[in-house]
Amino acid sequence: MVMNPVFLIVVPLGLAFFTPIIGLLSKKFTKYVPVIAMLFNLILSISFLPKVIDNPIVVTLAGWKPPFCINLFVGPVGIIFSILISLIGFLVAIYGINYIKTPESQGSSKQEKYHILYLLLLTGATGIVLTGDIFNLFVFFEILCISSYVLVAYNQDKNGIEAATKYLIQGSVGSAFILIGIGFLYGLFGTLNMADIAQKIGDVNSPTLFIAMALFITGFGIESAMFPLNAWLPDAHSSAPSSISAILSGIAIHIGIYAIFRILYTLFGVNSVFTFLAIMGIITLLIGEMSAFKQENIKRVLAYSSMGQIGLIIFALSIGTVNGVSAGLFQIVTHTISKALLFLCVGYMIYYTKSMELSSLKGLGKRMPLTSFLFTIGAFSLIGLPPFIGFPSKLSIIFAGLKTSDPLFLILIILLLCATVIEGAYFFKIIQLLYFKKSEKKDHIKPPFTLFLPAIILAILIIFIGLYPGFISSILNKSAAEFVDKFFYIKTVFGV
Amino acid sequence: MTLQLILLIGFGGAVLTYFAGKISSKLREIFAVMISLILVGMIISIYGKYSQEILTLGFLDFRIIFTLNRLSWLFAIIVSSLTFVTIVFSLSYMKGKENLNFYYMMMIFISVSMLGIVFSGTLLLFYIFWEIMSWSTFLLISYNKGKALSAGLKYVIMSIIGSTAMLIAIVSIYIKFGTLDISAISQNINIVSFNYITYILALFFIGFGVKAAVVPLHTWLPDAHSEAPSPFSAILSGILIKMGIYGFILIMYIIIGIKISLVLGTEWIKFHYVLAWLGAISILIPSFIAILQNDAKRLLAWSSIGQIGYIIVGISIGTGLGFIGGTFHLFNHAIFKALLFLCIASVEYQTRTRNLNQLGGLIKKMPITFTGVLIGGFGLIGIPLTNGFVSKWLIYKSLFDSNQYFLLFFSLIGTWAAIFYGYKIIHNIFLGQLPEKYKDIKKEPLSMKIPIIILSFTVLLFGIFPGLILKYINNLGVSIGFQKFNVSIMGISTETGMLNMLNIAFALFIAIILVYLIFKIGKKKVKINQYDNYGAGSYIPVDKYHYTTKYYDPLYRVIRPFLTDYFDKFYSWIANCVKSISDTIRKIYCGDLNYYVIYILGFLATIIVLKIGSKLW
Repeated sequence: MVMNPVFLIVVPLGLAFFTPIIGLLSKKFTKYVPVIAMLFNLILSISFLPKVIDNPIVVTLAGWKPPFCINLFVGPVGIIFSILISLIGFLVAIYGINYIKTPESQGSSKQEKYHILYLLLLTGATGIVLTGDIFNLFVFFEILCISSYVLVAYNQDKNGIEAATKYLIQGSVGSAFILIGIGFLYGLFGTLNMADIAQKIGDVNSPTLFIAMALFITGFGIESAMFPLNAWLPDAHSSAPSSISAILSGIAIHIGIYAIFRILYTLFGVNSVFTFLAIMGIITLLIGEMSAFKQENIKRVLAYSSMGQIGLIIFALSIGTVNGVSAGLFQIVTHTISKALLFLCVGYMIYYTKSMELSSLKGLGKRMPLTSFLFTIGAFSLIGLPPFIGFPSKLSIIFAGLKTSDPLFLILIILLLCATVIEGAYFFKIIQLLYFKKSEKKDHIKPPFTLFLPAIILAILIIFIGLYPGFISSILNKSAAEFVDKFFYIKTVFGV
Repeated sequence: MTLQLILLIGFGGAVLTYFAGKISSKLREIFAVMISLILVGMIISIYGKYSQEILTLGFLDFRIIFTLNRLSWLFAIIVSSLTFVTIVFSLSYMKGKENLNFYYMMMIFISVSMLGIVFSGTLLLFYIFWEIMSWSTFLLISYNKGKALSAGLKYVIMSIIGSTAMLIAIVSIYIKFGTLDISAISQNINIVSFNYITYILALFFIGFGVKAAVVPLHTWLPDAHSEAPSPFSAILSGILIKMGIYGFILIMYIIIGIKISLVLGTEWIKFHYVLAWLGAISILIPSFIAILQNDAKRLLAWSSIGQIGYIIVGISIGTGLGFIGGTFHLFNHAIFKALLFLCIASVEYQTRTRNLNQLGGLIKKMPITFTGVLIGGFGLIGIPLTNGFVSKWLIYKSLFDSNQYFLLFFSLIGTWAAIFYGYKIIHNIFLGQLPEKYKDIKKEPLSMKIPIIILSFTVLLFGIFPGLILKYINNLGVSIGFQKFNVSIMGISTETGMLNMLNIAFALFIAIILVYLIFKIGKKKVKINQYDNYGAGSYIPVDKYHYTTKYYDPLYRVIRPFLTDYFDKFYSWIANCVKSISDTIRKIYCGDLNYYVIYILGFLATIIVLKIGSKLW
């Protein structure tokens, strides 16, 4: 049987629903289900990558042809996102084997729910990047969002529940907007297939079109944490269990950005809203980095830093050229890997010091040397220091921005670099806290190997891609070319 | 291949040293000394083999090019030899401190990243190694904890601000020229306008000025150099700030070329004169601030800023003699400043203090260190027979020849201030009374004596036979485009006069013999107690007459009001503004869900209004 990309979605989904049954058979085994599912996804996605770079695969379901069916469009961007999702999903699932514990009194059914929701979240994410139909996009988006609302509250403490409720309300507002936007599009074109809408959009010139675009930007913008829609982010990412913070910061918000820009590039085409988004991106970056500066809680620092990086990615993707999109994709890779590494390390640091305050991190460089070292690697790569992966990605963004020769972009790049300085300031302060401040306790803590296995893999990726960025930048260039090219998309889907 | 091999051995050696330290401390020390020695040896072996090694990297069409040219070799030999000498010194200085694996690893790591900087043939590689050097020096400056943390943070933030300015310049160059290869850019420099070149130079100036501690970007230096571990301070003052000067020479003379650099500017103000004047201010004010310091290392740190001013004046004045003088002073300053820092470190090791108000009379207890400080101090002031004299003479002569009398005057005042603070160091530590608590300190360990002796010897060697280095620098100047001078092993000759150390050494020798004879002929010596001399025969309580406390008090009271570091205050003010703005901004996320939903609706409304608004225009 030929490997069909639809398995990328079906297998995690099916395993998610089977988990309770597996749990009846063996309580211990439920921990390993996400690991297996994501490993399968990872291998399948990587195997698709070489084929898909030049010829995206279009998978039609239910025997109808587009535009009457729901089809999957497995393009290079989709596969790259799928690889990232499955890689981070796999590594964080390994981390979750030991990190997610429940006291015996509550039984293991709560743990089971974590794994089910975890798989559903990742299914939703993979579905979004692979689909070619706009209502399908919405369905998977809802799966993603609802799973993340519940997972934020997993710890069942006051902060978590409050954060999850606020996230739920804001997310629902966003989903409502998206639904209205889809409604408008359906009313105008009579079809829900993205390629079909893309083809027909040139013929219609009505203000409803712009309202639909605005609704989409706002709706998906909430999930993607653009300013001022991102007020849920600091609370949600800091109150969730650290493995979920890694997934949220690393995957969920990037999927939001993917959704916005897929709709913008493929359906609407490049237009003046991009300048607005570029400015919004830099504003998000500055506000994120400046707010992170004064935080006392390490997970809030990382959450605001995610906000800032999203601003950076939005800026890169709104430059509108192939260089810009390629740089934005590279920055997505950087942020996913580095932020996941940071959250994984911080998870155990908090677990052992029993406190999220920055002052409790003092002297951990001596007590948890490898963990602190991995944290330092993640931090340096986010700031953009060579020889880590953050440097080539920031360099590509600056290059893409300056190449447009637009004086507005020069000013925005200067603001970007100011934000980098601020980012450097707080991360360097934290690293000094880790290594160069004395702590009262002198014991040596050894986190379990389920921290080190994923963290070391991520660190190796950071250093390796940092030293040989050409390794992935050629793939990203080609993907960016496809992403921007609306007509290629239409042509591939309709097979004309 | 050799250049890459050097860098590979360096970085690999640094990591190996760290892991060797986990096995045993002796192994780590052997490793550290061996690796630094190997690096020195390899660099000596590639003398004269100027070459390029090209690799391709598949990213944005960049190539990796390693080059060795005259300028690179000069810096490489300074970096590697000073690292070797400092590591030998650290063997006894750092005994018993914690985190030594990290310390030795970083010492080698930092020196290899500096080697990477000078071996880079493309601006991208230059930037990469520059950043690696920045964050690794940050980590090692913070090593001592306490005050060193804020010093390190100040350093790294200013360094990153400089680097981001450089990054904008580099990306802009890439877009204009299509390549970042240094040789390609320098050949095609004529395709861009002078305005563009000035803009690029200004950006690079910010980047290199922070590293080289040119006024007004110097404020990180006093804190960083005084709080870093002492052998590392020697490297900081000796080579790190010289990297900024390397950058200046690279941009101004190698990339832009001397023909364009020297005519940039308007009718009245030429760019390189602006640079020379900034150098003159760097000489003037920091040298006087150095006089006021009571912490020995802070004094030396401010003095470093002053000497960098000399180097910048020499290099940017635009004449061949000035360039030779400036580059030679760079070389000399590395040697005698490292010597001074190592001597202060050895004093600190024995007496556990750097406070000049509390030391004194150590001349009998630590004679070798005293000789080191004496020779280093003489080099700093510029007394004949030391290498500092030759380079300063060359700078003065070049200023005189180009009729820059004001700059000459400022340089001379700088030397005057150098005499003050040089003597302060010599007197306050070694002359005068020996405080009670230091009566029993031991002599320095061997591994501290050796570097001091080696460096003192080098100062005198290049002072008497300057031609050894001047020949090389002369060729360097010629390769850049300056005129050729007649250099002999003992001196250099120019159109308007010559410097021949043989004559000077001979004259000094005769003078010393004369003085000695006069002493011999005179009356016999009578030995008296030191305190008899002070109290003119009457009894004085010993501890109340400590002559080194508040040494220059009258001078201090006169110039103190004029010498606050306004730039430091200004930068701290900016940092505080950023902090308070950040604090205000984070209040946007107030916690009230109603506001959040209003933000969302407001955003939607804004987009729609903007679109409708732009349609109506």
